[in-house]
Amino acid sequence: MNKTLLQINVNGQQHQIEIEPDMTLVDVLREKLGLTGTKKGCNSGECGACTVLLDGQPVASCVLPALKAQGKQIITVEGLGTAKELHPLQKAFLVHGAVQCGFCTPGMLMSAKALLDKNPSPTPEEIKMAISGNLCRCTGYKKIIDAVMAAAAELRGEKTITMPTVGEQVVGSSVPRVDGIPKVTGQAKFADDLSFPNMLYAKVLRSAHAHALIKNINTKRAKALPGVIAVLTADDVPGRNGYGIHIKDQPVLAKDKVRHYGDAVAVVAAETLKIAEQALELIEVDYEPLPGVFTVEDALKPGAPKIHPNGNLVLHRKVYKGDIEKGFQEADVIIEDTFKTPMVEHAYIEPEAGIGVYDGGKIIVYAVSQGVHYHRSEIAANLNYPVSKIRVVQTTTGGGFGGKIDNSVHILVALLALKTGRPVKLTYTRAESIIASTKRHPFTMRYKLGARKDGKLVAAEVEIYGDTGAYNSYGTAVLTRVATCALGPYEVPNVKIDTYTVYTNNPVSGAMRAFGAPQAAIAHEAIMDELAKKIGISPVEIRRINAFRKGSATPTGQILNDGVGILETIERAVEKSGMH
Amino acid sequence: MNCEKYYLPATVEEAINILRENQGNARLIAGGTDLVLQLRERKINTKALVDLSALKELNGITENNGWITIGSMTTHQQIAASGIIREKARVLAEAAQSIGSPQIRNVGTIGGNVVNAQPAADTTIALMALDARARILTNQGEITKPVGELFLGAGQSAIDPTSEILLAFDIKTPGAREATAFMRLAKRKALALPIVNVGVWLKLDQTLSKFEDIRIALGPMAPVPVRATNTEAVLKGAPLQQTVLLQAMAVLEKEISPRDSLRGSAFYKKEMAKVLLKRAILVAVKDLGGELGE
Ligand SMILES: Cc1cc2nc3c(=O)[nH]c(=O)nc-3n(C[C@H](O)[C@H](O)[C@H](O)COP(=O)(O)OP(=O)(O)OC[C@H]3O[C@@H](n4cnc5c(N)ncnc54)[C@H](O)[C@@H]3O)c2cc1C
Ligand code: FES
Ligand code: FES
Repeated sequence: MNKTLLQINVNGQQHQIEIEPDMTLVDVLREKLGLTGTKKGCNSGECGACTVLLDGQPVASCVLPALKAQGKQIITVEGLGTAKELHPLQKAFLVHGAVQCGFCTPGMLMSAKALLDKNPSPTPEEIKMAISGNLCRCTGYKKIIDAVMAAAAELRGEKTITMPTVGEQVVGSSVPRVDGIPKVTGQAKFADDLSFPNMLYAKVLRSAHAHALIKNINTKRAKALPGVIAVLTADDVPGRNGYGIHIKDQPVLAKDKVRHYGDAVAVVAAETLKIAEQALELIEVDYEPLPGVFTVEDALKPGAPKIHPNGNLVLHRKVYKGDIEKGFQEADVIIEDTFKTPMVEHAYIEPEAGIGVYDGGKIIVYAVSQGVHYHRSEIAANLNYPVSKIRVVQTTTGGGFGGKIDNSVHILVALLALKTGRPVKLTYTRAESIIASTKRHPFTMRYKLGARKDGKLVAAEVEIYGDTGAYNSYGTAVLTRVATCALGPYEVPNVKIDTYTVYTNNPVSGAMRAFGAPQAAIAHEAIMDELAKKIGISPVEIRRINAFRKGSATPTGQILNDGVGILETIERAVEKSGMH
Repeated sequence: MNCEKYYLPATVEEAINILRENQGNARLIAGGTDLVLQLRERKINTKALVDLSALKELNGITENNGWITIGSMTTHQQIAASGIIREKARVLAEAAQSIGSPQIRNVGTIGGNVVNAQPAADTTIALMALDARARILTNQGEITKPVGELFLGAGQSAIDPTSEILLAFDIKTPGAREATAFMRLAKRKALALPIVNVGVWLKLDQTLSKFEDIRIALGPMAPVPVRATNTEAVLKGAPLQQTVLLQAMAVLEKEISPRDSLRGSAFYKKEMAKVLLKRAILVAVKDLGGELGE
């Protein structure tokens, strides 16, 4: 490949760099200049994490050919301020809690700076417009807008921002977050920001089908490509070729069969990312497509294609209490409805990334994580390697929301490090992150409630079907959890709750914020409103009558003795809303 | 991005010569906000890129002898901020302002938007309503074509970026009793492609009680950006009345054929196209001080 000379001024410093002519600016900044404060969240212009200022204007550096910056001035987050001398925006972001995971922060700061350079007194509406190209998945934007207002005030010389100091009294006082300063100055190291000498780059070949048999995999041509160091398939997994928090049903690399579109079939390590990408195209996989099932209804039909040898029902969980028939006989009003909630992607702005390092018999994995001990035990079993020789280090993690509890890159980078003896980095693309990561379980929920004329619930029959996709992940836990909280904060004496964890050929469902409870809330809150309407009392009244109080029994028979706050919460909400 | 060479010519002549020398193996790049992703996903392949960003003569907005000229390399940000465009071609200012995000508007160009040839490209819809003329440098020299003739299919432009350069768009300076409006429906106010977009240019008669002339452009209603000529015919010469609008909406429904897509169902797009058309007409009429009767 021809090299070209790029001359740019970055943060006041002149650089002359040899680059490949098709590099984007973000790659030059991160890889050639080591300025990893500029993040890559989507690599397609959509998220704004890569925002830098080009001659003062915010641009998405991931869709900008680097040579477009020829002879121009670039400012990145590293040029905004330093730990010793923070820019007012950086201070304000810290003080206002506008930084959480911190992955969107550098881009957000650059868009805010571009605005304040032009407009020293922006309105909240103008700030919204200025940051409209920057997505944040953690803060909800309000604090970011507040922070930009505060920074503007300081820059106008009206009101200085004081950083809280940590005094004697920490509990109950506002203290700066421990990792705050590295996050606002671009110094925090997320997994993809790390590099090691002699490092290889990995790419995963993913299934081209939702459900298919693998007849043959031919890696010969990929292995022969210069610069390719390893091409691994299921046969190269030294230990158990399966992982999963509760059931080890998900293969590290698919062997005879693929069960969803994102299944990993082979993995390549090469000297450059480009070579690894080319190698994927040279791997030949013969598939025999099988009929797939994509709804829980189809998956449970007699004769449905079996996704796993034991069939598609993973677990039937029962929570029964009292006498359900008697309960419905006592009811004056009976109401029934079915509710469906969709699959939800966590969409953390940082895609999955990690590096495996082999160091004199030890394997160290630096990666995104929400639970390093789990990753460590899986790696040991999959690699058939002593757990004491495996270390998993959680890097600063750019959002998780439950989605980074599961294995993603971890086992593969450990395996590649072991096989090659060299550091190996694997970073998912945004598309890969969406295809291969877990989701919130889609639920189908059938509710039948019985109540007396006065509004008191006497019976509840609930059936919940959770689509866990091709593998269980946290499916059985989510469907167990929802079996206990399907009725929300309401006391019912006679209860029959059945939940079903079901395999389909959809993406894998796993952990996501509150583990099944939010889906159930959609159903129990909607049907309580309907019930109130049918009885002719207000939605508030029906909740007052049925809400848990001291001494109430939950569906599992647990007696609530302390800290039952729901009635109080309802009253406060009523007060604030002015509704009665 | 996948290319081997990157040229930054200083003149249009140099650019066209590079294209000629490379005989189809070099392609123009403007802002790159469409092309970089297409190259990365290998939807488009090329050996070399010819970047037009140093060509000052292709950048900027001028007004001369009853024509407004917009260089093909003018960014959406420049268009949205231009006094001339805001005052005299509101439909285009609003279309440019609606694109992507500040980061995309600072780089993406009007020329790239048109040559990328998507059926609901925002500034393209506005240019169709304005009946803009495109000036193109071809192997036969400079030619002029109405924007409406530049689209062959979804993503297929009549301009070949490996041998031709789109230079500029010319639009007529608006005369008396002429106004424009742009309406757009999308899931969010930023970073969301349009579910439906509508551009309208219209002229009222002397008494401000009749539509003297009108042009309506919409997307995405077919594989290419379209004009609603049957609907225009209903309105031309018709009085400013609600019943006339209702009639026009009924004709519009018959002349557009959107697809079911992730962004919305065909049914929804049709219904909303009618609503947005009505709103656009009302805005433009109101701009001229006209009023709709029963
Ligand atoms: C995150 C994001 C959001 C977006 N949102 C929107 C939106 O809301 N609405 C919308 O309409 N578009 C949107 N786009 C698409 C894109 O930004 C626009 O179409 C933009 O105007 C393309 O212009 P460009 O200068 O970047 O073109 P480029 O990508 O450089 O080029 C596009 C095509 O035109 C050719 N070309 C460019 N200039 C010339 C010329 N002078 N002569 C001949 N051929 C030429 C190129 O070879 C290429 O094939 C979005 C894109 C991104 C990444
Ligand atoms: S916009 Fe560039 S990484 Fe998302
Ligand atoms: S703090 Fe914005 S994405 Fe996490």
